[in-house]
Amino acid sequence: MATTPNAQASSAGVGKRDHFRLTGWLHRSEALRGYLLLSPTLVIMTVGIAVPVLILTVLSFWTREGFGFDTTLTVANYTRIANQPIFSVFLLRSFWVSGVVTLFTVLLCYPMAYYVAFHVHRHKMVWIILMTLPFWTSYLLRVFAWKVILGYEGVINSGLLTVGLIEAPLEFLLYSQTAVIITLAHAWAAFAILPLYVSLEKIDRSLLEAGADLGDGPFWRFLRITLPLSMPGVISATFLIFIPTTGDYITPTLLGGPDGAMIGNLIQLQFGPVDNWPMGAALSIVLTLWIMAVAVVFLLLARILRERTT
Amino acid sequence: MDVVDHLSAVRTGRLSRRAFSRTLLGAGICLTTMPVFRGRAAAQQEQGTFFTWAGYDVPQLFGEYKAKNGALPNFAIFGGTEEALTKMRGGFVVDVAHPCNAGLLRWIDSGLFQPIDVSRLSNWPDVLPELVTLEGNNAGNGKHWLAPFDWGQTSVTYRTDLFELKGEESWDMLWDERYTGRLGSLASGGDAWWCGAIKAGVPFKDIATHEAFEKISAVMRAQRPLIRVYTDTTATLEQALSAGEIVAAMTWNSSATLLKSQGVPVKFAQPKEGALTWVCGVMIHKDAPHLDRAYDIVNSLLSVDAGKFMINDYGYGHSNKKSFEAFDDKTLAGLNLSRTPSDILNAGHFQIPQSQEWETRMNETFEAIKAGF
Repeated sequence: MATTPNAQASSAGVGKRDHFRLTGWLHRSEALRGYLLLSPTLVIMTVGIAVPVLILTVLSFWTREGFGFDTTLTVANYTRIANQPIFSVFLLRSFWVSGVVTLFTVLLCYPMAYYVAFHVHRHKMVWIILMTLPFWTSYLLRVFAWKVILGYEGVINSGLLTVGLIEAPLEFLLYSQTAVIITLAHAWAAFAILPLYVSLEKIDRSLLEAGADLGDGPFWRFLRITLPLSMPGVISATFLIFIPTTGDYITPTLLGGPDGAMIGNLIQLQFGPVDNWPMGAALSIVLTLWIMAVAVVFLLLARILRERTT
Repeated sequence: MDVVDHLSAVRTGRLSRRAFSRTLLGAGICLTTMPVFRGRAAAQQEQGTFFTWAGYDVPQLFGEYKAKNGALPNFAIFGGTEEALTKMRGGFVVDVAHPCNAGLLRWIDSGLFQPIDVSRLSNWPDVLPELVTLEGNNAGNGKHWLAPFDWGQTSVTYRTDLFELKGEESWDMLWDERYTGRLGSLASGGDAWWCGAIKAGVPFKDIATHEAFEKISAVMRAQRPLIRVYTDTTATLEQALSAGEIVAAMTWNSSATLLKSQGVPVKFAQPKEGALTWVCGVMIHKDAPHLDRAYDIVNSLLSVDAGKFMINDYGYGHSNKKSFEAFDDKTLAGLNLSRTPSDILNAGHFQIPQSQEWETRMNETFEAIKAGF
């Protein structure tokens, strides 16, 4: 294959020969073809992710000096993060909140995805669209919608008051961690439903029939076949929710109140009113590293669990 | 191209690749050219940009501007002046921004602004001179850095029916443990920290000392568990006050005036320790992309119509002396305003400009306190 164009090229003009040399090269080198195909993505990844992360990393080793930066490299920001309790408290709180959010979202979305995958036979797409319909509106709009629902004179409180179950409006609903958890769990639900649905949909139904033939009831069939086979979906849903919600800052800002603030708010403050960009950069890097660590631990746990069960 | 034909082709699975690509191309061209034909959207782009608090982005303040330019200026909103300065130092370019007297010197020092040529402002001769002579405002050659626009107080707005007053009105109202979880506050240190200083009894000239920091921190820390919400959006406080979710909050004049006009029984307190007073104004960015429009924005804000709206609807003082002519003394007194701003400004505690180090330290400390440390 590769020799033919070269043989033709020897009898053709110089420009044509160059052209064939290039295509020949492309044909021979599989790696080069791969990179060429990847190139748009690679360019975006470099410009959009690698370079900013690099800038952020360098910035985090600088310190603030009045209006500008002191560019001598130092780990002062990192030692401050390690020594001052405010940062670890915020990190822990963020992990707690987004951990609870992830758990609830996956638990609530699994049955929905399961139902569509196994019990809906016609117009599946309509069902999927219906379930993701709320996510066609803006994220901010959904957060404000929850403010209306959870508010002091909101839907829940006025409902309960009318029925007579409570005498004064429930105050813990808004401006609290509860509010942040409820809102985040709803706002990110679509990101759990879709991967769960895809992995459940792929499961070979004959395996379930075989399980039934061998005497497993519905409960054991679910535990031994459906759940392990849908694990990839569960894991990707977990990551898709856990990672972005840990750093979320708009929901805690609007609904969190004094006790609901998360690490994202702290980072925003550093880049905003506190005006300490290097510190904000260091916090972002620490947050990223922590999320990576948590993700690795989670993956290892999932693997161990899978090995135990199979 | 027949839509029904296409749909049936899809349904029967006979849509050719070429026909599909053609449809996509058509849709793509439609989408990308749509904005080109939207003349109004394009016109909007050419207006000047005003960087300000939420609440000043209303058409009533820009009657003159709109009459001249056919549309409202664009708005960008900030929660506090410190945040706004940081954003502009980060490269955000606007035409006109809205700082206050406490930040004036640092805003000038940032080198991001150009002096205002007041001869280009037709409303300038009516501006109250005592508001112009702020420290550091004179840029020489008859130019000024800041055109004063609004002035007022930061004080306590409380529900007269829900808040049981013990003795005189006082800053203690926002530290009243009977109302734990039913008090609100502005989130910006530019207001809250200074009010904390008044409560702690720290004179403003000593606010930069170490003891002052200790004292004010202690006061703010004591207040934190009582607060239901710290917010940059006055609307949040206003809604909570009108619902009775909170019974008293640190606000500016406008919250009380707006709530009263809606029939909510509130009062803007005159604390016995004195309220926090301030003057805010507008500055023009040095790289203002629409300089003529920038002057139009400033002139429109200084106009009598804008002033009447500010006094009547928001309860703020205005810098144009003619805007006060429409109001009698009793109305003005009811709004805690006066034709001579210094009556009000000097009766309260007038903010004093501080260094950048102070601002940073104050914001850092206050943010940590709000977070619970």
